[in-house]
Amino acid sequence: MRIVIAEDLLLLREGMVRLLTDTGHTVVAAVADAPGLLAAVAEHRPDLSIVDVRLPPGFRDEGLRAALELRAAAPDTKVLIVSQYVERAYAAELLADGRGGVGYLLKDRVTALDDFLDAIERVAAGGTAMDPEVVRQLFTRGARHHGVGALTAREREVLDLMAQGLSNSAICAALFLAPVSVEKHITGIFGKLDLPPADDTNRRVRAVLAYLNG
Amino acid sequence: MGSIGPVLLRTVKALAYLAGGLVAGVAGLVWAVVSTLVTAVLSVTQLGAPVFLGATWVTRRFAGLERRRAGWVLGAPIGSPYVPVRGRSLRERVLATAAQPATWRDLAWLIALFPLGLAGGVAAVVVTAVDLGAILAPLWLWAVPNPHAPFPARPLMTTVPGRFALVVLGLAVLPPAAWFVRWLAGLVAAAARALLAPGLHRRLVEETERLAATRRRVVDAQAAELRRIERDLHDGAQARIVAAGMTLALAARKLRTAASAGPSAAGPSAAGASGGADVGADIGLARRQLDEALAELRRLVRGIHPPILTDRGLHAAVAALAGDSPLEVTVDGDAERYPAAVESAAYFVVAEGLANAAKHAGASRCTVTLARAGDAVRVRVTDDGRGGADPAGSGLDGLRRRVEALDGTLTIDSPPGGPTVLHAEFPCAS
Repeated sequence: MRIVIAEDLLLLREGMVRLLTDTGHTVVAAVADAPGLLAAVAEHRPDLSIVDVRLPPGFRDEGLRAALELRAAAPDTKVLIVSQYVERAYAAELLADGRGGVGYLLKDRVTALDDFLDAIERVAAGGTAMDPEVVRQLFTRGARHHGVGALTAREREVLDLMAQGLSNSAICAALFLAPVSVEKHITGIFGKLDLPPADDTNRRVRAVLAYLNG
Repeated sequence: MGSIGPVLLRTVKALAYLAGGLVAGVAGLVWAVVSTLVTAVLSVTQLGAPVFLGATWVTRRFAGLERRRAGWVLGAPIGSPYVPVRGRSLRERVLATAAQPATWRDLAWLIALFPLGLAGGVAAVVVTAVDLGAILAPLWLWAVPNPHAPFPARPLMTTVPGRFALVVLGLAVLPPAAWFVRWLAGLVAAAARALLAPGLHRRLVEETERLAATRRRVVDAQAAELRRIERDLHDGAQARIVAAGMTLALAARKLRTAASAGPSAAGPSAAGASGGADVGADIGLARRQLDEALAELRRLVRGIHPPILTDRGLHAAVAALAGDSPLEVTVDGDAERYPAAVESAAYFVVAEGLANAAKHAGASRCTVTLARAGDAVRVRVTDDGRGGADPAGSGLDGLRRRVEALDGTLTIDSPPGGPTVLHAEFPCAS
């Protein structure tokens, strides 16, 4: 996969380049700021951009803004935002356009390499990857919907992974469940939360997040 | 003889000061009496306030002149005691002017100057005239016949040698006479200084302003320091731990690749594989420990300066808090940015209010209001819980110290049965 990296800290930029190169990907550009990102994406048309939220010159949320700008200009641009902290509000902004191909992960997640590589593949394929921390924040907030309270423990687990953007087969693998029972749980969840049934992962993630955000 | 010049100059200045006091004393008394009477009479009408301010303006100019005049004797003019008058309406300005002791001390001096100036001026003029008269006796005394003067005076005044003796006498008395004039002027000027110099009020006002300014600098420096620590953690410790995690992840991957390639190679395959599994487990443990370290650092950073506050400002940060709360929270207010120290303190007020509402008050909904009111920022957290919160609780106490360091106030109103209202107000010039 051809990837552009935007990360201002040299240590992490080089670490990320090495990690991705060692796992068989090609880093076509590694830049340190938002204008650099816009230029690199325009030049290389990568399969995916991995962008730090906080970039120079302001060290605020320039990375996120640049990512939103990229996706507004070219809707099929795939972006994975990484950060040392996650904010629900930022996740909502990323998902707001309703198209897949976005991810939002804590930088810590790169240490669980297989999950991280999975997330990259998902986002590049047009899916979503939401950090478990974001999903946890959503559940705290969603606790006031009585629908969430009616879920069984297993359904909660499935909903958690669904919100992170995992596909049915990935959920099966993560929870050691048969595809049939995962489908049964998902039907149960959609019923209890009063959501319209959906097959496509993106639509599912959006429905779940919209519900929890509500 | 080099010291004669300065002494002579000082004496002349003292004489001028005392002589001027004769005129100033009369003018001062007249102005003080007339302006006070007119202001008093007009105070019952609409004209009272402007006339009072106008009269005070003139009095202050007069007193300013007196301060400069006293400088002839004291070496430097007396400093101005006035505190700037603030106030939007006429009434506020009148009250602020009247509240300054300097306003009334000026008037007191104009009245006291009349007797002091009269006595000092007359004494100085008489002493100077007599002494200079004696010294200049040969020039004028011949024209004034004094046949009936008593004994010591008659020979002195009517004979030529006597007149020259008067010159000697006058010159002999000159130094003490000059000293007397200077002493007298010093006395009057000291009285002027006692009434016209900056008093305790002005010093206290200045001291208060100085303390407020230095405290503001301390608070700003502290806010900047917290942000710097947050940046340092972000770019330093946190980044290094993530980098270590990346290295570890690659190591674990290599180990797995080696282990899967291992069995095909001949040799101590069984021992190597189990050893590899052990190392793999250890690497997994190290990775989890790093994750915990990062989670702990994130908690720490949120506690000192939440990143979203830096990124997006108070309103967005409070909206994020509202989103994370298990309660149904409504946030009212606009997205105006305030000074970093105010935003930070306001953020923690809301965080504490929401946490208390969820934890102790058993509330189900909360309203957060952020609003600017003139030169103040108001933050209010209202819940629908059962109330009865202890205003001296440790969390609120720390919060109050934080708010008060910004000259703000924190009040909590929590009657049994609720609702609880946490209200903070910060001064913040628009």
